[in-house]
Amino acid sequence: MNEKEEIAINVEHVTKKFKVYYDKPNTLKERIVFWKNNKAEERTVLKDINLKIKKGETVALIGVNGSGKSTLLKLMTKIIYPTKGKIITKGKLTSLLELGAGFHDDFTGRENIYFNASIFGLTKSEIDERLDDIIAFSELEEFIDNPVRTYSSGMYMRLAFSVAINVKADILLIDEILAVGDQHFQDKCFKKLEELKHSDKTIVIVSHSLDSIRNLCNRAIWIQDGNIKRDGKTNQVIDQYLKENK
Amino acid sequence: MQLVKNLYSYRELLKSNVKKEIRGKYKGSFLGVLWSFLNPLLMVAVYAIVFPYIMRVKTDNYLIFLIIGVIPWTFFTTVMTQGMITIRMNAGIIKKVYFPREILPISVAVSGLVNFLISCIIILLFCIFGGVGVSIHLLLLPVIALIEFLLVLGLIFAFGAINIYVKDTEYIVQFIINMLFYGTPILYTKELFPEKIRWILNLNPMTHIIDGYRDIFLYHQMPSIQSFLFMIGTTLLILFLGICIFRKLEKGFAEEL
Repeated sequence: MNEKEEIAINVEHVTKKFKVYYDKPNTLKERIVFWKNNKAEERTVLKDINLKIKKGETVALIGVNGSGKSTLLKLMTKIIYPTKGKIITKGKLTSLLELGAGFHDDFTGRENIYFNASIFGLTKSEIDERLDDIIAFSELEEFIDNPVRTYSSGMYMRLAFSVAINVKADILLIDEILAVGDQHFQDKCFKKLEELKHSDKTIVIVSHSLDSIRNLCNRAIWIQDGNIKRDGKTNQVIDQYLKENK
Repeated sequence: MQLVKNLYSYRELLKSNVKKEIRGKYKGSFLGVLWSFLNPLLMVAVYAIVFPYIMRVKTDNYLIFLIIGVIPWTFFTTVMTQGMITIRMNAGIIKKVYFPREILPISVAVSGLVNFLISCIIILLFCIFGGVGVSIHLLLLPVIALIEFLLVLGLIFAFGAINIYVKDTEYIVQFIINMLFYGTPILYTKELFPEKIRWILNLNPMTHIIDGYRDIFLYHQMPSIQSFLFMIGTTLLILFLGICIFRKLEKGFAEEL
């Protein structure tokens, strides 16, 4: 068995530092005149993280606010880049960091499906193929040709989630969005994620709803202060996490 | 090579972005897209009145001469102005989704190119009805247009990216463009420029590009080989530098914005 080929996400010695400006210099003048004041505090958010996620795994990242989970997820999607180290991902990647990125309020739901899916790197014919699935999943058939500014926030989210979930990427990165829409739609999303889990998709979820993680993930990684505190079976990691964070 | 492959797989995004650029710019105005053709024509009208009558410039076919200068120049400046700010304008999606960031400046340049090629119909109409006529040399139009496209693309790659870090770039470049308008033979022929410093004019790639357009539209002749080589050389150099700067700086976009 070739183990190396099976790794979908490989995080090698990744350190991420952010510069925190008290008063960020935006113009040349400010940079020159106030160069002494441009002290930026460096904050290390992730410290030498090593992580291998195998193809087909469903992994949860847990930890308190500000522990660096979302930063790690953003690094995986290549929105930001590590200060040190590297991250190698294999296969098409979709991130659901914030739903509805790139939605235009004046365009119709249908037009926005095209626009949003093209941001995820789909071609026209691929979107055509999936259009019916996306609309059916969102249950917005009656409203699909209305501008999205007329949508309620729940409808907006449903549409966005349906697009993202139907991109059919190999790797799916999800940040705290399991609470989409009403109970009925949430259950549906959950079922869809269950279904994806049993296919060979790799899923990484950042979430605070530990109960859903218990059901969904077979591995959990606990991040604390930029370090991996524990990595292992979901239930064991969560039990310890709950005990220590009481 | 990786870049080309990446861009190819995101071609749908490029397409919808170009559409948005073209449609979005004059959205809400009464005449809409027509403005992108009306604008240079009005500019030409002003110069055509000011220069022959007030400044007493005497050049044959001055009106057509002007149009062939102003329309390619409009292509250059519109793309420059929009390209400088496109990354800042799209801060929202840059912070949320990964996609090849190069798409943004490229769509600005492509929409400019499309606009320019349509505007060339105006030039042609003026040539035909202004008694200048057309010739086989027009076959070179796509070549020169492509060179101008790549040149301006290289520039907005570089300055658009720098502008994220130092916002003054936008204003400095805007000033240089305004100055360059007079440093390019748009309103006058090269021969009117003092001979001693004419070499400065020749350092400007836009000089060669505009002269090139005039050769094929107005004078019905091949642009000189030196001129051609200079255009291609500087364009490739600027494009290469632009891509290098952009690739170096794009990693910080999401954090700086």
